[in-house]
Amino acid sequence: MNIIRFLSDVLLYTSPILFCTVGGLFAYRANIVNIGLEGMMYFGGLASVLAIFFTQSLFLGIIVGMVISAAIGVLFSYFSVNKNANFIITGLGINLLATAAGKYILVEMGLTEINLINIDRVVDLGVDLPLIGRLPFLGGILSGHTPFTYLSLLAVFAAWAVLYRTPVGVYVRVCGDNEDAGVSLGIPTAKIKYFAVILGAVFCGFAGYNVTVEQLASFTPSFTDGIGFIAIAAIYCGDGKPLKSSLYAFLFGAAKSLAINLAVTYGSIAILLKMIPYLAIVVVLFAVEGVKHSRTNIRGISHV
Amino acid sequence: MKKNDPQRNTKAAVTLVNAVSPVILAFLIGAVVILIARENPLSTYWILFSKSLFDFQGLMKTLHYASPLMLTGLAIAVTFKAGFFNMGVEGQLLVGAFAAMIVGTSFPAMSPVLLVPLCLVTGMVCGILFAAVPAVLRAFFNVNEMVVSLLLNYAIAIFLEYLTSGPFRNPSSGYVSTNMLPDNAILHHLGGTKLTIFTFVALAVFIVMYFLFNRSRLGFEIEAIGYNPSFSEAVGMNVGRKILTIMLISGALAGLAGAGWLMSEKYAYTLSFSGAVGLGWDGMLIALLGAHNPAGIIVAAIFYATLKVGVQNISVFTHVPSEIIALIQAMIILLLSLKMIGGPNTRGYKRIESLLDSGRRKEKIG
Repeated sequence: MNIIRFLSDVLLYTSPILFCTVGGLFAYRANIVNIGLEGMMYFGGLASVLAIFFTQSLFLGIIVGMVISAAIGVLFSYFSVNKNANFIITGLGINLLATAAGKYILVEMGLTEINLINIDRVVDLGVDLPLIGRLPFLGGILSGHTPFTYLSLLAVFAAWAVLYRTPVGVYVRVCGDNEDAGVSLGIPTAKIKYFAVILGAVFCGFAGYNVTVEQLASFTPSFTDGIGFIAIAAIYCGDGKPLKSSLYAFLFGAAKSLAINLAVTYGSIAILLKMIPYLAIVVVLFAVEGVKHSRTNIRGISHV
Repeated sequence: MKKNDPQRNTKAAVTLVNAVSPVILAFLIGAVVILIARENPLSTYWILFSKSLFDFQGLMKTLHYASPLMLTGLAIAVTFKAGFFNMGVEGQLLVGAFAAMIVGTSFPAMSPVLLVPLCLVTGMVCGILFAAVPAVLRAFFNVNEMVVSLLLNYAIAIFLEYLTSGPFRNPSSGYVSTNMLPDNAILHHLGGTKLTIFTFVALAVFIVMYFLFNRSRLGFEIEAIGYNPSFSEAVGMNVGRKILTIMLISGALAGLAGAGWLMSEKYAYTLSFSGAVGLGWDGMLIALLGAHNPAGIIVAAIFYATLKVGVQNISVFTHVPSEIIALIQAMIILLLSLKMIGGPNTRGYKRIESLLDSGRRKEKIG
């Protein structure tokens, strides 16, 4: 296994998880568990690929992806905030709707995947960093990634800054900690929740763009591969704190990179290695939550 | 409570409206999608329902298809009742099916009287074992069962894909598939229809579950936990252990569904064993549709089986892609998450109350 390749892939596979983690933790901190991250990512990726496929414009792809994923965010928050829906089921419905829509559109177009390889600019999106790129070891790891991969790293810090350094961030946290107190202080909690969910949805859309356009240069019906749920696991492990959750996202990205890089060397059991990330997450979740649980001295269980 | 209590009638009406209106709405949206595909939604829907409900052979096929759905619907409904989510039904079903396949192909000479129950029980046990992972983590370590059971679905699907394409692959098959079950492990069709014993097994399990949940102490405790887990804990229930029990029951139902579906329909494990959306996820829709009422689960399972059978005719007689059903299903789940009509103090509830009231007054005058 090539160590530079492995570390570079860690960054590659972590970035969509990071986007979804950042997207999900806003809602999480506003006391909404967004199971629909996966579906929002799916819709974002699908919309971006379709837009690029028909217009050949990357810029339009990004915009359409943002708009569609934001629209799904609006739908989700309308259901969960205004209509008092069971948001676990809403999220699940969005996930199922996303895959169903993707497959339906593929069948209608008569394709098994929407390929963007023929569009020149999509194939070579890697950015060579000016100074870091020339460093011997770090250059190979950090340079040559696509724009949204770098953006995902910035997103973490942006999320941290919004949550802890702006009034909106304080309101979001108030919504989660004690919504009634927020209402009594005149904080528009409904609007804040909308903001948290929609912002999160747009980030998930970025994750979709990142995977479909930048990594695969195509849309395949199962491209999300559980990334949204992996992000939820990262959020749970990291208590919804941006930096801590992101560390877990990196851990899970590393597991995925390990699985894929090992698969190159081990031919026949390569399929089995794909299990590593999912099992690793369950183990990490068990370790983290188990420790948290053992530190509480309340009898019995706390419910969700 | 009196038998003709108006309060109770209103509640029943509201439940019905809440269950039926998302279905209608989803079909309307589906109709728009069909129109966009330049097909006639009315004739498409007519084909969808007529051949799977109003035709004897079609109806039997629908009941056959409803059997695993009834079980997966129950598997999810029991966990809903206690207020948490077993999202691993799909994986538990696959494990149950695969285990039944291994047992069935290992003892081809065993008498069917022994082999059939052995396969079904193995499926159940393996479903339980696989459900035990999220269950134990949840009950004793407070790890979120939803995330764990969901991620394990991915892991087990990969594992079974490996087993099917490697050690257990049937070399003479043109596509990736395991060996076929021997004749002794197959549940045969009854009287020239698609129906098998499996349907009756599923119904028997349903009756057992009905009594377990409505007439036993466990059922009462589960409902109490669903309403208020902290209170249940405070009055002395061991909530952790109860959650473990429910998850294991759920896993057993899912495993049985998988084993039964293998033995009555598929006969061999393939990579598309559970279908496009997956029987476990179909169970989610059924549990949501029929959750308020035990009979609701059966009705919902038959309704959904109708769609599954009907969609095979759609692709034969029209140009509408069969994927339309997955789309409608997702829409139904999405719309079911919001209660169209809320509690007693909302506008919709009062409107239904007054509607029923005026109906009763007319009856009196008449």
